[in-house]
Amino acid sequence: MAAILFKGIAARSLTTRLTSSCYYGMKYSTKVSNDPDTHDDFKPANKLENSGTSLSNIIEQDVKDNPVMLYMKGVPDFPQCGFSSLAVKVLKQYDVPLSARNILEDPELKNAVKAFSHWPTFPQIFIKGEFVGGSDIILNMHQTGELKEKLKDIVSKQ
Amino acid sequence: MSFRNASAILTRANRIKSKLQSSLEATVLDVDDVSYQHAGHAAMKDTSDKETHFNLKIVSPKFEGQSLVKRHRMVYDLLSDELQSGLHALSIVAKTPNEVTASAK
Repeated sequence: MAAILFKGIAARSLTTRLTSSCYYGMKYSTKVSNDPDTHDDFKPANKLENSGTSLSNIIEQDVKDNPVMLYMKGVPDFPQCGFSSLAVKVLKQYDVPLSARNILEDPELKNAVKAFSHWPTFPQIFIKGEFVGGSDIILNMHQTGELKEKLKDIVSKQ
Repeated sequence: MSFRNASAILTRANRIKSKLQSSLEATVLDVDDVSYQHAGHAAMKDTSDKETHFNLKIVSPKFEGQSLVKRHRMVYDLLSDELQSGLHALSIVAKTPNEVTASAK
């Protein structure tokens, strides 16, 4: 009983944090310290232990809620891989909000994203819920004008 | 026996080349090891693999009618063993023979 209650709280605080953390510069963190909804007593030892299937739900929600969603190494302001850096650079040419998660911080998320998209490498870019590809493809789409076309109806950031 | 040993000591670049060549019937196949450019970056610090990053340029009739995502997936699928054994990232240029002729004009 206590275990079930604990799981419920952990899952709720995870959801709250994830849905409120959007937009450019957002950082995927394994810490829950900034969450006003939680308390040390309820802090899960490992927030993923209760989320065997929910990781794919999180990804599904991510790509649904965020018109441009990146799974990358590092964060947009500090990419930790040349390919992720390239993808961010390309997308920054456009006046659209970028949302990103840092898969280096979370191996389970990393694997879940790979399984979700059937794509083995990072970065991975989703636009309006559709998997677009990695840095080679986003660069190519930028060069052909396809990316401009795809992003044009996305409301620009304030 | 000796064949098996030989394939074990083939470089990853050669394995990539032969896997892609036989399945894609590529007319152009450049495999360029650029691992040195990525040595020491954050994701590489815990690996002892030497051949981790490659630039691939592939021209294949099998790409005809396929989106870029599909072309890349074909390559990734062919190299899934390598990706599971230390190959970290690929930069892929995937074209059809027709696209190459068109851009040369």
